[in-house]
Amino acid sequence: MITGRTRHGSGLVAWAFAAPALLAYFLFLVYPAMSSLWFSFTDWDGLSATYNVVGLDNYTNMPNDPVVIQAAINNLIWAVVTVVVPVVLGLALAVALNGKVRGKPILRLLFYTPAVLPLVAVASIWGWLYNPQYGAINAFLRAIGLDSLAQPWLGQDSTALGATMVAAIWLRVGFPMLLYLAALQGISQELYEAATVDGAGRWQQFWHITMPGLRPAHYVVIALSVIDSFKVFDLIYAMTYGGPGTATQVMGTWMYFNVFQYNQAGYGTAIAVVITVVAVAVSIPYVRSQTKEHAA
Amino acid sequence: MTSVAPTAALPEATIAPAGRPPRPQGGAGTTVLMALAALVWISPLVLLVITALRPLSDFVANGPLSWPGSFTFGNFADAWNIGNFANTYRNSTILLVLKVPLGVFISAMLAYALAKLRIRFGAAIMYTVFLGLTIPIYITIVPVFVMARSAGLTDSLIGLIGPYLAFGIPFEVLVLQSFIRQIPDEIIEAARIDGAGAWRIFLTIVLPLSAPALVTVLILDAVATWNEFLFALILLSSDANKTIPVGLLNFQGQFSNNSTGLAAGILIAVVPILIAYTFLQRWIVGGLTAGAAKG
Repeated sequence: MITGRTRHGSGLVAWAFAAPALLAYFLFLVYPAMSSLWFSFTDWDGLSATYNVVGLDNYTNMPNDPVVIQAAINNLIWAVVTVVVPVVLGLALAVALNGKVRGKPILRLLFYTPAVLPLVAVASIWGWLYNPQYGAINAFLRAIGLDSLAQPWLGQDSTALGATMVAAIWLRVGFPMLLYLAALQGISQELYEAATVDGAGRWQQFWHITMPGLRPAHYVVIALSVIDSFKVFDLIYAMTYGGPGTATQVMGTWMYFNVFQYNQAGYGTAIAVVITVVAVAVSIPYVRSQTKEHAA
Repeated sequence: MTSVAPTAALPEATIAPAGRPPRPQGGAGTTVLMALAALVWISPLVLLVITALRPLSDFVANGPLSWPGSFTFGNFADAWNIGNFANTYRNSTILLVLKVPLGVFISAMLAYALAKLRIRFGAAIMYTVFLGLTIPIYITIVPVFVMARSAGLTDSLIGLIGPYLAFGIPFEVLVLQSFIRQIPDEIIEAARIDGAGAWRIFLTIVLPLSAPALVTVLILDAVATWNEFLFALILLSSDANKTIPVGLLNFQGQFSNNSTGLAAGILIAVVPILIAYTFLQRWIVGGLTAGAAKG
């Protein structure tokens, strides 16, 4: 490998440096992930000492499990909405904050604040806001005369998933905003000045200068948002436990309930394997680009 | 770890606080609009603070949106005791102190090996480690639970350290190795000619020069560790061993009819992270946006 760098040390020394982290990584991430793959081919209940290998049964049974179908659909809706809305809102905020605005650092701080809170705390806050009797959201609707719109947001099928997504959007807008703000600073002001001289309006400047200039940022923002979306667990678990009924069940929560409540560890891990394979497959281009860039 | 921060792995890790030449200020209209939007965005937290500071009777009588007739700190005392926060604070702090420096240190070692040492399969190692960013924690919970049980480490904070380390490593290595890569080889070469070995170079040159990146990953890892939920939920069972997120979940269930107590409890759980974020945001923002502009 010709890198133009002088690398020092013998190979053995390098491995000594790499070993502790690689050991932890393989022991507690790679190995468990592989074991899950194995468990997914068994009928293990999670408790007994023995189990049978059942091949692909757990996987072929999934299409007959209405909850898995619902969870997969919910995951998909969740991914689309909690990627698109925060990215678009985050971009709008970044563009606005990049203009002539006072108090930029404070505004940036406020919009990003929800993102640093524990997901359980975010779930608690929104559960509290959505409370049918004491919640601020229904109180607000009643205060402005829209009593008819007040409802048990998390307690009924028709609104529960949407209500959890609002919480997710709240906490996720800050991240694209930060990345876009950083990226906007890389776009030359001269381009805008030249465009202004040529008589281009604000929208034209946005479409022809800002958007192309942000292309690398779009890629990173969307890739990371998609990866994050597929992992959804904490927020749903802490807000609704997948309910009411199965209205907000996602693959992660359904996996959890199968393993820890219904004693179906084999089936549960199969569900986890499916979502992991999808998540990894979707993110491989991103991981490749990162590796290439860094290793090159 | 928990979602947002650790997956924020970005191309280049030139950790520089955002800054640029001063521009003419103005734009009162946009400023007012953005301030209003920010206020709406932060209103759940504002409401939380106001509610936590008022007596329950006042809240019940006047509703969640009214301005309190009187203020009290009593809710915090109640919430602190009922929510078992003395224990959960202690446990989360112990985990933070044990896990975060260790995780960052071994990640820095791997990052140094990948960036500056002769290591075979470097690209393959990187690919494997970065792939960890995309793996949902829940695919590992069954085997991790089984491993912890056979090692006698269920319901123990120590049992959490291994999984926490593993899920922190991908992001930490991604940021650190791209930062270490930018350290000029001449410095390292000079030290080597003076007879310094790899270990000495790592401790006396690489680590000190990586301080900005180290601070960033330390902070982000601390936030992620403090907020982690799923492993703590499955591995910890007794109240004495629970961490803040798991404790908060139980607390939430008990307090569904006591809005002011619930608000106080949520605040108790998030205040350290809010304070840390306010003071350390420069590094958090720097770490998350590192190099995004360059792509």
